[in-house]
Amino acid sequence: MNLFRSEEHVTRWLDGRRPGATLDVTTLNDLAHGWWGDRLHADWQPHTRQQNQAILINLGLTDDFWRLP
Amino acid sequence: MPSVDPGDLAIRNLTYEQFVRGGRAPTSGELAATSGASRNAIRARWQRLHDAHAIVLDASSGEIRMASPFSAVATPYRVRASGRWWYANCAWDAFGICAALDSDGRIETTCADCGDQLRCKVSDGRPGDDDLVFHCLIPAAAWWDDIVFT
Repeated sequence: MNLFRSEEHVTRWLDGRRPGATLDVTTLNDLAHGWWGDRLHADWQPHTRQQNQAILINLGLTDDFWRLP
Repeated sequence: MPSVDPGDLAIRNLTYEQFVRGGRAPTSGELAATSGASRNAIRARWQRLHDAHAIVLDASSGEIRMASPFSAVATPYRVRASGRWWYANCAWDAFGICAALDSDGRIETTCADCGDQLRCKVSDGRPGDDDLVFHCLIPAAAWWDDIVFT
């Protein structure tokens, strides 16, 4: 799960490997807030699979790549 | 994620509290001293938390490797937030540190392709450099097959 200067750099780094998923940093930041934003809350409880899947879906990450086990 | 019992959850919360207060992962010995539990009891609770994906233990030492989004070991993802430097486990977690601390911050890493220095400020919960991109190679279904690699 890496950062790159641009999508061209991702393509070069993949070097023919099957790509995963590329996000802009605004979406990544939103994902980080949804996923980790409550991690230090005193009443934190583990997210359920459904909660985590909903975080992804709400950001438009709905294809099979983002389907949690 | 499997459920976590209240005793394990309390140790998990204490682990995170000490991590954030001290700027580094507490050892099992330090947590035993703080909590009054034995080191073996801490290790047993940590193992259950690891199995529940609530923390990640180092496979050889049994100590904390990840209390995500924080990393207990040096990584290419450095984050300045809440007056300290932190290490994140990956790019996602780097933004997660600012989110978890509810803090402005600055993420420093290198482009995984060319090695150029990348810096991204986070202010008021928003990233400052919209040109950067994030790539996740491993599909979600396989993230926990090898979470350190992921």
